[in-house]
Amino acid sequence: MASAQATIPTGPDVGETVPTFEASDHLGRTQTLSSLQGKNGLLLIFSRSVDW
Amino acid sequence: MQLERKRKELEEQGIGVAALTYDPAETLATFAERVDIGYPLLSDPGSEIIKRFGILNESVPTDHQFYGIPHPGEYWLDADGRVTAKFFEQSHQDRFTAGRTLVRLFDAEAGPSATRIETQHLTATAWASDEEVRGGNRIALVVDLELPEKMHVYAPSVEGYIPIDWQAEDVEGLDYFAVEYPEAQMLRLDAINETVPVYEGSLRLIRDVRLGQPDDLAHLVENGRVTLRGKLRYQACDDKVCYLPQTIDLEWTLGLESHDRMRVE
Repeated sequence: MASAQATIPTGPDVGETVPTFEASDHLGRTQTLSSLQGKNGLLLIFSRSVDW
Repeated sequence: MQLERKRKELEEQGIGVAALTYDPAETLATFAERVDIGYPLLSDPGSEIIKRFGILNESVPTDHQFYGIPHPGEYWLDADGRVTAKFFEQSHQDRFTAGRTLVRLFDAEAGPSATRIETQHLTATAWASDEEVRGGNRIALVVDLELPEKMHVYAPSVEGYIPIDWQAEDVEGLDYFAVEYPEAQMLRLDAINETVPVYEGSLRLIRDVRLGQPDDLAHLVENGRVTLRGKLRYQACDDKVCYLPQTIDLEWTLGLESHDRMRVE
């Protein structure tokens, strides 16, 4: 592991809106931000792979 | 799966949950069956969404088996799709838990494993943001204090009195972060013509602790559980009398999950 690595990119900052997206989920349903979020928002997790 | 346990709390807060990987939908379907996940796993083959978010891990060569993985992390979004918080692993060591975020962003309540201590001056309830942890997790430890009417304790900035102080144990395998104390109230002591920073009523103290990797924690583990200890020192006074400073022992016992190799939580 590099001892002094550059800060990694982390995408949209606090206060910014995230890009729109559309994706199939594991049950074959098409999902967007609107379909996923609750009335108070969403926790969106980016993971490496379920086969990791 | 840690997050699955928190999902009910998130639901109660009106917060949806979804995880995204570059796996094909079929792979996610097989995984979801095996692991019993109750929230959507989104398929992003080709990593288009990962790239659109700007979090593609570009240190992985394009011909590598794992090309397309993101820098793993999470966004907490409000109802307008605006980021309210985000947590990304800057190193392989930092894994914030959802429980910790719930405590810090959403004013969570003490869990079932909370321990309560009553002294003649106050009640202290010690609890952790997560009941089950894994090596590398960064969680929040909480001490909720309730003082009876007319009782106060002294805030850290006070002079001439013993300030409240939460001391963590110095133990290998645990990295404690600074305590966050709430803002003090200024109390006028007419009898001695002084104004002092105090806490009255209810207050919450929070500090993060990062658990080391399994090897570093091993010496702390008993029957699959790890106990964290601390001491709370304070001096209490009411409207008539100042009491002798007290030190109470605090304890948090956490279940240690074995390392599941699956990364989706």
